[in-house]
Order: sequence, then structure tokens, then C-alpha cells
Amino acid sequence: MICDECGRPATIRFVETVNGEMRLMRLCGECAAARGIGLSFAPLAGPLVNMLMGFLEEVGAQDSVEVPEPACSECGLPYDEFRRTGKLGCAVCYTSFEKELRPLIRRINGSTRHTGRIPTSAPDDVESIREVRRLKVDLERAVRGEEYERAAELRDRIRDLESKRSEGGDDGDV
Amino acid sequence: MGTFEQMLATQPGWLDASGPISNVVLSTRVRLARNLKGVPFPMRADNADLERVRDRTLAAASASNYLSDALVLIMDESSQSKREILVERHLTGREFLRDSPGRAVVIGDRELVSAVINEEDHLRLACLRSGLEPMDAWRLVDRLDTELERNLHYSYSSDWGYLTSCPTNVGTGMRVSVLMHLVGLVRSNRIAQVLGSISKLGLSVRGFYGERSAALGGFFQVSNQMTLGQSEDDIAYMVERVAGQLVTLELEARSELTEKGGRKIEDEVHRAHGILTSARIISPDEMMVLCSSLRFGITEGLIDSVDLATANGLLVSTQPGHLKHFNGRDPGPERRDRMRADLIRRELASGSSA
Ligand SMILES: [Zn+2]
Ligand SMILES: [Zn+2]
Repeated sequence: MICDECGRPATIRFVETVNGEMRLMRLCGECAAARGIGLSFAPLAGPLVNMLMGFLEEVGAQDSVEVPEPACSECGLPYDEFRRTGKLGCAVCYTSFEKELRPLIRRINGSTRHTGRIPTSAPDDVESIREVRRLKVDLERAVRGEEYERAAELRDRIRDLESKRSEGGDDGDV
Repeated sequence: MGTFEQMLATQPGWLDASGPISNVVLSTRVRLARNLKGVPFPMRADNADLERVRDRTLAAASASNYLSDALVLIMDESSQSKREILVERHLTGREFLRDSPGRAVVIGDRELVSAVINEEDHLRLACLRSGLEPMDAWRLVDRLDTELERNLHYSYSSDWGYLTSCPTNVGTGMRVSVLMHLVGLVRSNRIAQVLGSISKLGLSVRGFYGERSAALGGFFQVSNQMTLGQSEDDIAYMVERVAGQLVTLELEARSELTEKGGRKIEDEVHRAHGILTSARIISPDEMMVLCSSLRFGITEGLIDSVDLATANGLLVSTQPGHLKHFNGRDPGPERRDRMRADLIRRELASGSSA
């Protein structure tokens, strides 16, 4: 067994994560020490609920000045109970506690926007709302990259989609 | 429609070792969490709501292709021992051991598709596959979901996606779990590093039957942590990719073990087989260790008198709830250890279909 770094005899085998890939590395003592390997390993990933509760505590601590909604306007779930159990009571809880939930969900997922499947029963404009969002991101990029022709094109398409939606009634952009 | 006893007499399809990479991956499960529009989540719903949710969902299930012939179990009418069996077969969570109105389970052919009603969410759909098949399992559960949607209106926001009782499921409501046998990584003491890396890649790990099954037998369940911000295809693909890397690492560790271990490994594997086919008392912990060695021996070609499906089946059929049910009542732990040994001997005597 030889060291993957320097070719000398390797003494340590370990699993490394590089660019989102796990692979087995073989290293000599020196190269391992240079990378600070062999000391501590991340503990087993705990149950999600613990993680969630940890976040809740943090969020709660940060926001201690701002008082959260005491309870959900629809189902009456007290915010304190959500903090204790980590479970919401109804769909409207997502709106009632939005201020508290948004940072929490971002911490878990790195995002707060659903980009997956859409129910067939969802209103038709869900797809167009999503399209507008995508175009706005593209627009920002185009402006930053000084591609003004493309930016103008994108802006027109966004206006187009938005005017079509407002004909339909509500603003819908949640 | 089959009966509960018929279900018990048939091995779950996800244990039959017919899928890809069955030497390391026992099965893949994809589960979708859904709630019905306009009804509080089960925890805040009243009895009338819960029963309405159950009846509407059961009606939708019986109108679908995938679940029209399924076994329907109403929890209010199901004994404690039946419920334990559902938990041990990973059809419901432990929460279903408790009494609560409106709960039901719909179980499709060979337990490969199922719908759990009024657990944490109104509806949890699951599709299972033998071996490493996240994409396949996702596509199937998606088709079932689409069928049910014709009759059910789900709680959904264009911003957050599918709304779930626990915010850790919101978005896709999708959890992809791969059940892996990582005996090589456990034996070569590499498992802690590997599991540390996995959590950095956005996956979480649990033991298949709690932490002991992982520590003793190397049976791990690897799942995605994030449910929002990525499409379902991306999530399924991500889990498949990371699980694939785990497989590579596990196979490397196994071949090192057999190379280095030589006769010693061969001896150990045959000892495990010998105990399983001869012993009269086997505890759950011993069972996990021996079954893990047996599986390892089969996949490394050291044992050919037992097939992989039989070894997989022992993991489930020797669980305490199963033994209690076969006995008619709880025989207590000591008697259960004897029953476990008897059952293993019987299974191994008949389980050499290969
Ligand atoms: Zn080196
Ligand atoms: Zn609520």
C-alpha cells in the first residue's frame, strides 16, 4: 500500500469527501498529519428531530426580542407547543409561523423554494409563477454579466407572464 | 384481497435479493408524505376529521390500480401483536402501536407498495424495491400518487410545496431510504469515518432495527435529509450516487477482509452457519451478529447452501413481535430465544432453494 499523495509507504486508510464524492484514500503518516487526519471524526448523524429541536432553540434565542405569533390563527396550535414537539397543526401554521419557520427550513434544506412535483389539482398559474422566478434569476445574472440585450429580452418575457397572470385576478406571487 | 395471515406467510418482496447490488443493498424505499386540503394534520384533527380522512383515502386507494386489491387493516380493529408485526416489517412507525382513531394501513402485493393513513401526516405512500433502485421506486410511488390525486386534494403551497406536519418533510415530502449491509466497513473500523462523510453529503443514517442492529450486524438505513429545494429526481439520484459510493467502499473493505483473513474468515463464517443450524437458544443480539456473518459468507461465495433471500428473511421473521404472533401470545424473552433458534433451523433447512 502506497501513499496517494507522495508515493511512500502508506499507513493510514481513510474515507475522504472530495467534490461530493466519497473515496478511499491511502496516506503515509506525514501526509495524513499534514491534512490533520486521524484525530476526530464527525459523530453519527443524529435523528432529524434533535437537529430540528436544536435549530428551534437557536431561532428562539435569536428572536427573543420579537414575540412570535402566540398561536396559529386556524388550528389554534400554540407556538410553544410547536417548539416542544417540532410538529405543526395545519397548513395555515406555515403562514402563522412563517417568520420562525423560514430560517429553520433554510437551515435544513439550504433553500425555501419547492422545485419538485406540482399536484395536478394545483391552480394553473403555479407553473407560471415558477417560470417568472426562474426568469428573474436569469435576469439578475444577465445584468451582472452585462449582457444587456439578453436582459431586455428576459424583462419583456417576465412582463408578459406577469400581465397575463394579473388578468387572471390575484397577484399570486408568494 | 389477501388476508393478514397470507401476508405473513409470504416474504416481503423487498427482501428477495432479486434487485441490483443485492450483495450490499437489501432494499430501497421511497416514501411521500401528503396531507388533505382543508383538514388539520392528524395531531390537531378531531375524531370525525380523522375518520373522514381515512374513509376518503381508502376510497381513493380502492379506485387506484396499484392498491385496488390491497390488504386493508383498520387499526382500531387490529390487535397489539398485529401492530408490532407492521412495525417490524417497516410498514408503519412505532407510533402506530398507540391507540388513536382513524388509523389504517393499505398493503399492496408482497408489501412493495403501501399507504399509511393518519400517522404523523394524513397519508404516507411508500414504494419498496429489492436492491439499489431509488429512481425506479420513485417513479412507481409517483404513479401511485398521481392516481390517488384524481380523488384527493392535497395541501400544497406554490412556495413551500407539499405541506407536512413536521417541517423537516415539507417540499417534496420525499424520503428515499436505502437499507445497506455494511459489514465490511464495520469490521475494518472504517464505518465512523464513512458515516461522518455521509452527513456532510446531506444524508442521514440510522440502524435498521435501532442502533444495535447497526453496531452488531452492520445493517444501516441511509436517507436524504433535505426535502425541499431539489426535485424528486435530483433527490433520488443523489441518494443513488452516494449509496453507490458506499457500495464501492464496502466491497473494497470486504475483499480486503477475505484476502487478509483467509482461513480465519472462512472459519468464522462457517461457525456462524453452524450455530444458526444447530443452536437451541439464540438471543436477538446473537442473531444479528450471526445473520450478518452468514450474509457476508454467502456474498463472498464461502457458503452456498443458503441463499441470500433466506438470510435476508431471517432479519424480519425472528423479530419478537413475529415470534409472539406465531405463538399466539407473548412467551417471554427466554422462550422467545428458543423459538427464534427453532425458527432459524427450520428456515435454513428449507431455505436453500438455490
Ligand atoms: Zn505521503
Ligand atoms: Zn395551524
